[in-house]
Amino acid sequence: MSDWLALVPKLLDGWVMTLRLLGVAIPLGLVVGVAVALARIYGPFPLRAIAAVYQSVLRGIPLIVQLFVLYYVLPRANLLLSPFIAATVGFGLCSGAYHSEYIRSAISSIPRGQMDAARALGMSRSQAVRTVILPQAFRRAVPGCGNELVYLVKYSSLAYLVTLVDLTGAGRLAASASFRFFETFLVVGLIYLLMVACVEAALHVLQRRWKRSGVGVGA
Amino acid sequence: MSDLVRILPLLMQGAAVTLLLLACSLAVGFVLGIPIGVLHVFGPGPVRWGLRGFDLVMRGFPAIVLLFLIYFGLGGIQGVHLSSLQAAVLALGLRSAAYQGQLVRGTIGMVEQGQLEAARALGMSLPTALRSVVLPQALRHALPSLGNEYSIVLKDTALAFTVGVLEMMSRAQFLAMSTRKITLVYIAVAVIYWGLTQAGLLGFHAIERGVRVPGMGTGDNP
Repeated sequence: MSDWLALVPKLLDGWVMTLRLLGVAIPLGLVVGVAVALARIYGPFPLRAIAAVYQSVLRGIPLIVQLFVLYYVLPRANLLLSPFIAATVGFGLCSGAYHSEYIRSAISSIPRGQMDAARALGMSRSQAVRTVILPQAFRRAVPGCGNELVYLVKYSSLAYLVTLVDLTGAGRLAASASFRFFETFLVVGLIYLLMVACVEAALHVLQRRWKRSGVGVGA
Repeated sequence: MSDLVRILPLLMQGAAVTLLLLACSLAVGFVLGIPIGVLHVFGPGPVRWGLRGFDLVMRGFPAIVLLFLIYFGLGGIQGVHLSSLQAAVLALGLRSAAYQGQLVRGTIGMVEQGQLEAARALGMSLPTALRSVVLPQALRHALPSLGNEYSIVLKDTALAFTVGVLEMMSRAQFLAMSTRKITLVYIAVAVIYWGLTQAGLLGFHAIERGVRVPGMGTGDNP
């Protein structure tokens, strides 16, 4: 047991790197997700089509291929991204595609009457979207987007494949140095599990605090 | 163009291994997922607790950590011999079993309680009632999510190169290094994965249509 705990300090720097990656990628993903969802529902035709293609492509290709394109292919076009930037941009863009699907279906599930009523009260379209539609849609999107956040925590482990020493990378180094693969990767996995549990707990709190009587949260 | 002709055959060999890995992992996940889902609902307490632990690890650990844990960890134990492909099938298959088990558990809950009670009242044993009344309905409800699971597992197979499986990504890396046509190789790989995802989703839609029973499903049931 004490041997296992002794592993944790060796993994600490990697853990911090994973948290930094998530700290950038999570907000980026949410912003992209909202933007793509809005473009798909309210955008003019070309924008709607582009958003649909974006969703299909980023959700239909493995994240690791996307990271390799950002990290290995873009330099060919004279666009050199550092591993950290490549990883966070890759996570954010991909996560955004999944978020956008949850947010889009949440927006479409809001009854039409809401928009009509807001317009009848004299609100502009964008005002109505901002103050009437989105606050309700976000509440309905929490379960789906929450799932995506859990996935992102786990898939942040791919950063190790574009040379970053994140939690998985640190685990790989520690395991190769000690030849204790099973214990090391078990501890690494348990740390991911801990982060996933934290995200789920945070989502629970968010759902409770966002609860309004009559508005279905996670219904 | 001639470059593409040169790299495609090798990529296709990789794609064949990718599909083999995908088929085996999904099959392991399906075959284990159904009993896991049933035991989640009907199993005795200790079994349910055990499954909760299995679930927590399989769904809480990143795929790549599971691959390392099984290939380097289990495979490193004295007397255990796991090839790359076996380790990858085990890791992705067990992971998929946990997800598919949750799916089946959820869709068993969608089948009305009265169905099971009626089957039991007709004298069926619990296993018979599950097999011939509950599961046929539950699995039809699960089909759309199983299509999702297909695309998730397909994308996760792209991580198997990290334990040395010679699937499409490992061929791509080799080709990118040896031919220096990095852009072409990765764009081709991306297109192939995208095509496989779309083809699979179309396939699942076809299965959904094929097993549809009039009067059951969308709209009528909760």
